Amino acid sequence: MLVQLKNISKWVNSGGQKTFLLKDVDLWVHEGDFISIMGPSGSGKSTLLNIIGMLDNFNEGEYTFLEESVHSLKEKHRANLYKQYIGFVFQAYHLIDELTVKENLEMPLLYKKHSSSERKSLVADMLDRFNIVGKKDLFPSQLSGGQQQLVGIARALIASPKLILADEPTGNLNSKQGDEIMEIFTELNKDGVTIIQVTHSEKNAGYGSRIINLLDGKIE
Amino acid sequence: MYTLYFKIAIRYLLKNKLYSVINILGLSIGVASFILIMVYVNYERSYDSFDGSEDVYRVYMDYKQGDTFVPGDAQTYNLTGPTIKNKFPEVLEQVRLYKFDEVVFTYNNKIFKEKDGALADPSYFDIFKYPLLKGDLNSVLQEPNTIVLTQNLATKLFRDENPIGKDIVAFSAGNEVLLRVTGIMNNVPKTTHMKTNFLISYATIHTWDTFGNYYREPNWNQNHFFTYFKVDKNTNIDALKSKIIAWDFQGNFRERHNIESLEDIHLYSNKPYEAEVNGSAVRVKFLTAIAIVILVLAWLNYINLSTTKSLERTKEVGIRKVAGAQRAQLGIQSVIESMILNFGAILLAICISIFVLSIYNKATGSELALTVETIKQLSPVIAIVILAILLVSLYPAWVLSSYSPSKALKGKIRASANGLHIRKGLIITQFLATIVLVMSTIVITKQINHLQNQPLGTSLNNIIAFSGELLTKKDAVLEKKYEVMKNEIMKLPYVTHVVTSNTFPGDGFGNLSSSVGITYPDGTQDDHNVNYSYEVNNPEYFEMMDMKFVAGSTFLPNHKEKNQQVVINEKMAQMIGISNPKEGVGKKIKFWNEEWNITGIVKNYHHFGLKASVIPIIIRYSKVDNYMLVKFDTTITSASGYTQAITQIENVWKQTFPESTFDYTFVDKQFDAQYDDDRQFNKVFRAFTILAICIAALGLFGLTSYTCVQRKKEIGIRKVNGASIFKILKLLNIDFIKWIGIAFVIAIPIAWYAMNSWLENFAVKTTISWWIFVLAGIVTLVITLLTVSWKSFVAASGNPVNVLRDE
Repeated sequence: MLVQLKNISKWVNSGGQKTFLLKDVDLWVHEGDFISIMGPSGSGKSTLLNIIGMLDNFNEGEYTFLEESVHSLKEKHRANLYKQYIGFVFQAYHLIDELTVKENLEMPLLYKKHSSSERKSLVADMLDRFNIVGKKDLFPSQLSGGQQQLVGIARALIASPKLILADEPTGNLNSKQGDEIMEIFTELNKDGVTIIQVTHSEKNAGYGSRIINLLDGKIE
Repeated sequence: MYTLYFKIAIRYLLKNKLYSVINILGLSIGVASFILIMVYVNYERSYDSFDGSEDVYRVYMDYKQGDTFVPGDAQTYNLTGPTIKNKFPEVLEQVRLYKFDEVVFTYNNKIFKEKDGALADPSYFDIFKYPLLKGDLNSVLQEPNTIVLTQNLATKLFRDENPIGKDIVAFSAGNEVLLRVTGIMNNVPKTTHMKTNFLISYATIHTWDTFGNYYREPNWNQNHFFTYFKVDKNTNIDALKSKIIAWDFQGNFRERHNIESLEDIHLYSNKPYEAEVNGSAVRVKFLTAIAIVILVLAWLNYINLSTTKSLERTKEVGIRKVAGAQRAQLGIQSVIESMILNFGAILLAICISIFVLSIYNKATGSELALTVETIKQLSPVIAIVILAILLVSLYPAWVLSSYSPSKALKGKIRASANGLHIRKGLIITQFLATIVLVMSTIVITKQINHLQNQPLGTSLNNIIAFSGELLTKKDAVLEKKYEVMKNEIMKLPYVTHVVTSNTFPGDGFGNLSSSVGITYPDGTQDDHNVNYSYEVNNPEYFEMMDMKFVAGSTFLPNHKEKNQQVVINEKMAQMIGISNPKEGVGKKIKFWNEEWNITGIVKNYHHFGLKASVIPIIIRYSKVDNYMLVKFDTTITSASGYTQAITQIENVWKQTFPESTFDYTFVDKQFDAQYDDDRQFNKVFRAFTILAICIAALGLFGLTSYTCVQRKKEIGIRKVNGASIFKILKLLNIDFIKWIGIAFVIAIPIAWYAMNSWLENFAVKTTISWWIFVLAGIVTLVITLLTVSWKSFVAASGNPVNVLRDE
């Protein structure tokens, strides 16, 4: 079992009342799963993804990641955990504008104590794998949206995570680019990477092996 | 990893060009101003410091003024030095210097007019450690008729010849002496109050006719000598000072000796009969204050801009956190960025300083220099500032990294209330400093104008003072020759007056006699007050100088006691108890054991310029010829007209005295030159105030251009909902007006206090009027609004659709 969520709730206080973003969510994710989370705007998809990614806290419930209970971990350990096992892909790509493609890919490795030669070979591998060797010295602003997202995925993968979390990875792309990204996800999944994606699109959700529908913070 | 930090930092700076330029420019102007001012301040403070200078003291005279002693004379008696050395064992060595106004040397038929020289005891080199390059340190200056030259002067006189053993002729006040060169000393630095180009052995006083007996005989009457002494390192100087003050050296209760540290003379001493016009500690303090204010302003600017701007980078911080960066790593990056920017700015500042200094030195002949020493000296201050900047640069990184990455990624972090308060405080401080500087500039300018527009009580226009050294032995017919020459000059068509005298207004203390002890017309003996006097040879003097008589008239050439006549000023009349000037005429006063008839009383006039108040003065009728004052009529209007007239006078002079030197000075210009330092201070102050305003404006510009970007969505929404451009401008500018208001209120007392203490330096003070403050406030407000509105108007007048489409 990779991820185990039990009775997870998250709320915010507004005007003395609790507004639930997530309520009693239970979720199991096995290694090798490809899960699509669907639901209308405001249903809590991104919040759920952020909690799984340990970018956000929750108010109630238990979260176990690879036998570690995340809810009782200190922030630093939690950060180490996601650094090691989780890669993120965002709708808005979130590449650093001041860095080239190559440097963006290298960036996560800098925080993980890899030697310079190791970093170079890992980056070269990624550039190769995604066919973007020719773009390695360009800045994000010089790339199309699809290309930027390719870099985003490559960056998420560079530290060989067990789990990829993708928040509407095709949201800013046209359908052809979107299809390409989804193909890549399918490939990755075949290679054994677990993927959880949030999506609005039925078609993209179809690439996954399991679909979870959220409505008003609850799993349907 | 660090290379990556550098890369990001440099790319970020290049990408945000406006921000980078404003920051680097603001900082480097600030730091350069600081460096430049401090270079000058250090120069002023470096006066008279050499190996062992901290143990050297100068003796001066205190005179009794009413019931208290005040510094009365920088010069002392010829007995002072030797007696002090004998009497006080702490004193290891003493030296007496008699400073010449000017000595004319001739060598190989060439004439050299040299200022800055003195008679000096052989002990000179024990006290002033200026290296002797040639000559024997043990015997130099021992024998009469010997001279030591600085290297510069030696080269000037002798070119490539070996000067040692050569004889030169020296002239002073028409008396010549043959001097043998026995030593060459290193050039004395410009940073001394006692500029020196040559030293003549003290023993020459007995062989040179220019010195009368009252110079030669040991006495407690004539103080014409600067006395310096060196003490043992372990001396309790306060105790020695008290002993010297208490020392009753000749049963004279009207005066006493006092001492001051050699190193303090240039900045802290301003006594009558100084060796030169000294600097001013107050001026140096004010300049130091400006330097620090400008540095702090530039720094505040930087902090303000960089913290504001850093909020823009929440997304990047979020990405880094997600990629696994820890808080410390985020901190390091922002510190590296600050360092690049700051060191870049400092390097640029050093370049600017060196460039400006080289231009300034060329233009003014100064020798200010940014040396490694100066940089070392300034580096603690700059280091503190940089350290503070680095700490401050950690702050935004710290704040940003405390947010959860999911929030940071959404870019939803706004400045906390705390951060806003701090920024408000910073901006108000900036305004405060700016307003204080503007207020001060206005007061200083007003004071300088005030000085220039004061009635002097005399008119110095079109008067030229001629002087020269006769290079022949004085003869019996000299006086006749003068009279003939004066008549010749009088015949020139544009000359209205020719008068000889031993000094004139604006000439300084040098040629003025001073004494304590005078008997009033009613018989009262006054032993408390100093009176000053000078000599004039012609009754027309007062007419020429446009000095108005309130009673009596000028000297009477046919009077039976011709040479016992004096004219006094109102202040003197008051001092000696004459309340009705009319009654004063014809009365007698007594000083120097002689009786003097008062023939007239003139209105008060400023003999020393307006920094000092009017002093009591006595003008004696006497045969003198130090200066020949010539007044031209107003038909000469051009500079070439003056040159022609002066050439004609020179011709007459040279006909009368074929072997002589010839000099002249415009009296009004020389009088005016007394304010040169103040005028320069005003210029410097104004220049740096403008710089400070520029820095502040630059910062405001950066800040508003950033807030406008930040608030563009808000502005767009307001416009869509019907807000006018004016409303939006008001929205964006109202804060600044509030802040200026607060700063203005705090600035008033600070500026008032600062300027009041500056005006203490002047006897004639301008008023610090209310409108100065208002004007300064308005100036600041207008500059601020112009700066701020430039950007906010663009933001306010833009099409809201363009802004909202981004969302």
